[in-house]
Amino acid sequence: MRTLLGASVKMVIRDRQSIFWAFFFPLILLGVFRLFSPGTANTTNLLVSADTRTETGAALVQALQQVPFLNVEVRSGVSSAEANGILAQRKFNAALLVTAGPTGQPAAAELITAINDPIGSSITVAAISSVVDRVNLVLTRAPRAIELQARVSDVRRTTYFEFLAPGIIGMGLMNFATISLAASLSRYRAEGVLRRIRATPLAPWKFFASVVGAYLLVAAAQVFVLDQVARLMGANLHGGIPFMLVAVFGTLIFLNIGVIVAGKVHGRGAVEGAANAITMPMMFLSGSFFPITSLPAAIRPIVELLPLTHMLSALRGMALDGESVLDQWPALLVMAGWAVGTFVLARMTFRFDDN
Amino acid sequence: MTAPTQADGTVITARGLVKRYGVLTALDGVSFEVARGEIFGILGPNGAGKTTLVEVLEGLTTPTQGSASVLGLEVTDAPTEVKRRIGVQLQASSYHQYLTLKEILELFGSFYPQHADPIELLRRVRLEDRANARMRTLSGGMQQRFSIVAALVNNPEVVFFDEPTSGLDPDARRDLWNIVREVRASGATVVLTTHYMEEAETLCDRVAFLHRGQIAALDTPQGLIRSLHAPYRVTFTTAAPLDAAVAAAIPGTRGIEQDHTPDGYVLRLRADTAPPVVSALTSMVERAGIEMVDLAVEPATLEDVFLSVTGSGLDG
Repeated sequence: MRTLLGASVKMVIRDRQSIFWAFFFPLILLGVFRLFSPGTANTTNLLVSADTRTETGAALVQALQQVPFLNVEVRSGVSSAEANGILAQRKFNAALLVTAGPTGQPAAAELITAINDPIGSSITVAAISSVVDRVNLVLTRAPRAIELQARVSDVRRTTYFEFLAPGIIGMGLMNFATISLAASLSRYRAEGVLRRIRATPLAPWKFFASVVGAYLLVAAAQVFVLDQVARLMGANLHGGIPFMLVAVFGTLIFLNIGVIVAGKVHGRGAVEGAANAITMPMMFLSGSFFPITSLPAAIRPIVELLPLTHMLSALRGMALDGESVLDQWPALLVMAGWAVGTFVLARMTFRFDDN
Repeated sequence: MTAPTQADGTVITARGLVKRYGVLTALDGVSFEVARGEIFGILGPNGAGKTTLVEVLEGLTTPTQGSASVLGLEVTDAPTEVKRRIGVQLQASSYHQYLTLKEILELFGSFYPQHADPIELLRRVRLEDRANARMRTLSGGMQQRFSIVAALVNNPEVVFFDEPTSGLDPDARRDLWNIVREVRASGATVVLTTHYMEEAETLCDRVAFLHRGQIAALDTPQGLIRSLHAPYRVTFTTAAPLDAAVAAAIPGTRGIEQDHTPDGYVLRLRADTAPPVVSALTSMVERAGIEMVDLAVEPATLEDVFLSVTGSGLDG
């Protein structure tokens, strides 16, 4: 049995396709998302048209320059129509046009933002109105009724990259288990390897146990590597042994699905296509990249049925919220149901040879 | 080697084996026995049921009717025990492409209670310097040699080779014949399927002709050839045409064909006995005053036997 398990592990790790799905693909995704999701919010490029020789203009520009996320560029004499043209290009997110009123009258300030960036615009609008209010107060020397003080606490919010890391680990396990197991079983069958093994006294369950054992060992290595890399890239994750056990347990479901695909679909290209057709939608529906709450309500019932949804919910509960493995019991229960159901189906569908 | 006479010398018994796949009947009542130490050949065209037959004996396929015993064990009752004691080389089956030859032999050896040393096995087929190579880096002949030796990991008492030389060039084929003979010399009984007449004739102690799922004839190669009514082929070439009717009147001739080739007028016939027929033909030519160009007398081959018992060639 030890020779068999050793040979099975060698077959997995010497198979480039397995290694691609287990390590390269998730690592590439981790790297790509790390590069494109910087930890801080984007800055807003603000075009200010004001006469800085006036007291109002100078005070406003100075106050705006102190807002951390505003990148202020000052020009003079920009009209509304010109501002629209400038916004349509990519450089500026917002334009603030200040025109001095007649002496003794208040200056007029017009704030223009683009129509298709509502969230960014509302933040910008809020920030700039508060600046304008403060400048008003300072210049009119009016007394303040409320003094607001902002403070940064040492509590960290979960970053998008941290949210993503368990999602990519779960997705990587699913792809590896389903696609590469289905592909290699169908290859073994087509090449007659399974038939040759059946001509020996080896019990079929031992063969399957060794293959599944080998995939689970590589899956554990995969979890370890991806988790370490995500941490190196700055993700602050909880986890450890329970996290790994849940991940490996979930892998079992996807291995069963791989066996079912190899049993139901014949022909190598067709097997890989079918395996991809199963994993690809799950990758996007089960919340690997986005919270499932952002999906349309109409497909939520389907999403709630998928095994990866529950696996990711358990993994995130442990990795992000620091919950214990026992807290994940509702998700683990659904996963156990999937594991049993897919195991029974796998046993029923798989044949050692084509005829 | 003759047919088994003693019950304890019999290692394989097939009794009325029938195998149907839907409407297709692959085996249609096959019975025979194989004696210990034989090289037993199953000869037939593609689709004759050769592979089905050996797979029933190997416990890979369950017969629809009939039964088989191997080494005194009923194959359907004790498939695992049978598999433990036999060696199997399957047609068109391969080994794990990500393992080396040594690793494959170690792996397969681990399936059996006792097993041979991988390097020792590789040496038997001169592949010891390829121990750390992977399967797909080997030539076709090397792969066939490897698949033969992979059937020997458990020191089997009976070895099944399914088309072991299929697709090989003549040199590699002769090479494999020697390996098969060595396997037998080491004490194992060998059952092999082939669609090469020459292979069956030179390698096998006894040959069973399988035709449309039935055994059409079974004997030693010489016995099969002797059983022919006309075991000689005579080819007679003359400068002018001979009267075929006169030739047909010579006693002991049959199957006369005439042909006209650049060499001359050719008369082909089969003869019961060679010398009287040849001298009768020669005197016929002298009487007619025709110049004789060539005369060839050859013994019949298994191919002729196959034609006469099945009415069709191996290709059909």
